[in-house]
Amino acid sequence: MNLESFLLLSLVLFSLGLFAVLAHRNLIAVLIGVELMMNAASLNLMAFNRFSVTDPVTGQVFVLIIIGLAAAEVAIFLSIILNLYRTRRTIDAEQLTELKG
Amino acid sequence: MEPLSLILLTTVAPLVAFTLAILFLMRQPRLAQVVVIGGGTLSLAGAALLLFQGPMAPLRYLWFTSGDMALRFGFLFDGISLMFGVAVALITLCVMVYSLGYMGHDPSKTRYFAMLALFEWAMLSFVYAVDLLQSFIFWELVGLASFFLIGFWYERPSATAAAKKAFLMTRVGDVGLFIGVLLVLQVAGHFDIPGLLAADTGLVAQAQPAVLTMITLLIFVGIVGKSAQFPLHTWLPDAMEGPTPVSALLHSATMVAAGVYLMARLHPLFMGSETTLGVILVIASITALLAATMAMVATDIKKVLAYSSISQLGFMLLGLAAGSLFAGVFHLLTHALFKALLFLCSGLFIHHFESNDLAQIGRSGGRRMPFATAGLLVGGAALAGIPPLGGFFSKEEIFAALGHGGVTIYSIVALLAAFLTAYYTFRMIFLVTRPTHMEETAHDHAHGHGRAEPWSMALPVLLLTVGAAIAGFWGGAIARGLGIDAAHHSLASMAPAVLVVIAGVLLAWMDFGRQAAARTGFIARIPAVEKLFSNGWYVDAFYDAVVVRATMLIATILHAVENKLFDGSFDRLGFSVLGIGAGATRLQNGWVQFYAGWTVILIGVAAAYFGMGG
Amino acid sequence: MELGVQYLFVALVLVGGGMAALSRHVLYNIVGLGISLFGMAGLFLQLGSPFVAAMQLLIYLGGITVAIVFAMMLSIAMTLDPPTRTPVKTGFAAVAALTFGVGLHGLIGTASFAAAPPAPTDAWAVAHIGSALLERYNLVFETLSVVLLLAIIGAILIARPDRRGDAA
Repeated sequence: MNLESFLLLSLVLFSLGLFAVLAHRNLIAVLIGVELMMNAASLNLMAFNRFSVTDPVTGQVFVLIIIGLAAAEVAIFLSIILNLYRTRRTIDAEQLTELKG
Repeated sequence: MEPLSLILLTTVAPLVAFTLAILFLMRQPRLAQVVVIGGGTLSLAGAALLLFQGPMAPLRYLWFTSGDMALRFGFLFDGISLMFGVAVALITLCVMVYSLGYMGHDPSKTRYFAMLALFEWAMLSFVYAVDLLQSFIFWELVGLASFFLIGFWYERPSATAAAKKAFLMTRVGDVGLFIGVLLVLQVAGHFDIPGLLAADTGLVAQAQPAVLTMITLLIFVGIVGKSAQFPLHTWLPDAMEGPTPVSALLHSATMVAAGVYLMARLHPLFMGSETTLGVILVIASITALLAATMAMVATDIKKVLAYSSISQLGFMLLGLAAGSLFAGVFHLLTHALFKALLFLCSGLFIHHFESNDLAQIGRSGGRRMPFATAGLLVGGAALAGIPPLGGFFSKEEIFAALGHGGVTIYSIVALLAAFLTAYYTFRMIFLVTRPTHMEETAHDHAHGHGRAEPWSMALPVLLLTVGAAIAGFWGGAIARGLGIDAAHHSLASMAPAVLVVIAGVLLAWMDFGRQAAARTGFIARIPAVEKLFSNGWYVDAFYDAVVVRATMLIATILHAVENKLFDGSFDRLGFSVLGIGAGATRLQNGWVQFYAGWTVILIGVAAAYFGMGG
Repeated sequence: MELGVQYLFVALVLVGGGMAALSRHVLYNIVGLGISLFGMAGLFLQLGSPFVAAMQLLIYLGGITVAIVFAMMLSIAMTLDPPTRTPVKTGFAAVAALTFGVGLHGLIGTASFAAAPPAPTDAWAVAHIGSALLERYNLVFETLSVVLLLAIIGAILIARPDRRGDAA
């Protein structure tokens, strides 16, 4: 497999994640979509790191940092979900409409 | 003992006290007091022993390196940091002991004492910092701690507003300071303060004159914010919302002193740029004069002291900018002593009479409190510059520095400000101690019960009274500590300073002191000017009118643009979708996913457009 | 053989991703995410980095996925009763995702990526990552540790029940 096919794979995965974020009502499923998108980005970086960079350390470090940030992001996201569930008994994205104009 | 263990004792003891108090002692306020005061005592002992050992080589420890940049933590032991470290530790300890009485009945004492310890840790670490970035970190921590303390009574809206104002206004300056610090890194490649100050290899030799001017100006912006100089001075009077001992701390040895200290620390850099020195002279003299006029008409005892702090900080910067490191540091130290004293005295009055109003305190019998009155007299005389008290000698140094190259506009402004200082200080003293007989009898012994001055509050006042009284004679020692020869000034050169002080005191006597005096002040005869002064030259009003309103105006315009242009077009789009009959919901339906979807579609279309080579 | 393994991982990523994104039941979503992450770790291995692959398995599959399962169990309502979807919204999301994907694909097509000569194999050693993290990328590393600490404190603060009953 060459660089272009990896990019295509990551693009498909990213679009799938995007769809999950936009379509799911359950906030946990939305979070899963976000994770898919992040993984797509990681895959991209690893592919570039393999095929078009001379020093392969940079991309690996980048991906490690993305993984670390994802852990932080998931912790916050999940605690927000728990808080929402406790205070409103719902984690349905369609019922959280405070932004309504 | 070796310097490392001493400096760790000095800086870490308050941190340990803070951690213990805030984590474990929330429900044992008595123990928390003991722990915090113990930490403060250890810290003072460490600082004093360090001063006793004299200047030493700095200690540096590598924190980490990133790329070419090495970040070091360490401690600098030169004359400035050693002397000022002792002043900080001493005054903080006085304030802590004083707070035993002043905050005795407050329900959240532990939080208060813990924050004092945090404040002391941040300030001491800032004072001894060897690395400019380390300085910046602790500079910010000082700001944070003062935010907590100003807003200590957070149930009062005015206190939280004042805390926010203090934090935000100093942040405005800190942005400048941060950019300046980054520029230093860009030019010099390191943050090491002794390295930056070195005469042959330091920043002055390395940087282009224009770049050096820019760096020093940016750092000065930070100082303007922290030391409450014009035009960022309006946060300091508002910061009176905090407990009075906090004001004593904030105005004397910490927070506002940090700005002046930073300038003294980096004095050689500032001396390298004529332009910056000119700017500082202008700003500092405007500040000294403006704040003095505001103090003339304030009726709240704490406001008088607050404006006088601003004015005196201007004096210090004037001395530093005129080229005399000694003048600035000397005034910083004497001012720390007598200003802490004055605030603690005002706290005694406020605590006992439950009023901030000068005339009210005088009528209720302020002069019957011996420690407070003695402290007020000594501190006030030192502030006014009556020889031979502290303020006289240090101000004299500033006048001498300003008049070095002949009489300039700045020395005239400084003399005028000194005249006003003597006037407003003695106005305050006379209003408190010399009410007319008629007024006083009406309120006789209204507060007769209970001791007016508990020992925990009287003792620090007594100590600081002695300190402020003799501080003036330490000039020679301080000059030696800085490695400078103190010039002896002839009596003739001191004459103008003495004359303006006497004139100021006499005028205050005419207006407020005599039994038959009107007690309104000569300014009251020109109502327009009085109004101008008592409204703080309308600087805050200017901010409200121009800055806030301009922001609001921009926001309104943007709002209208959004409403008419973006919302309008989207609304029309939405209506057309409805019109097609797909049953789509309105765009403003509150679903985040719907908004995100539109964003994604637009990005996709844009990407496709560029992808087609459009 | 080599290529077969690679396609197996690609298939895992795609099938898992499809399950994670398309299924209506959140448990399937999570299983899908796990499969996809596993495949991704395999691809990282194929791309030459066993260390990142191991981290992917440890942190993502072992940590994040399990955390999500916990959150699902603690907020059980929507799990038991999968919500219905309106075709309008699903269609809208599909259109948005497709537009984005097609647009980005076009954009990728215009770019040209210079191929670099494959690096010597010892450049991929874990030791290099370690020293890079502690030397060249030290600041990033430290910042990330602060971010993680703040995230932990923030998560505790947000998720903690209010014991005093006020809005602290």
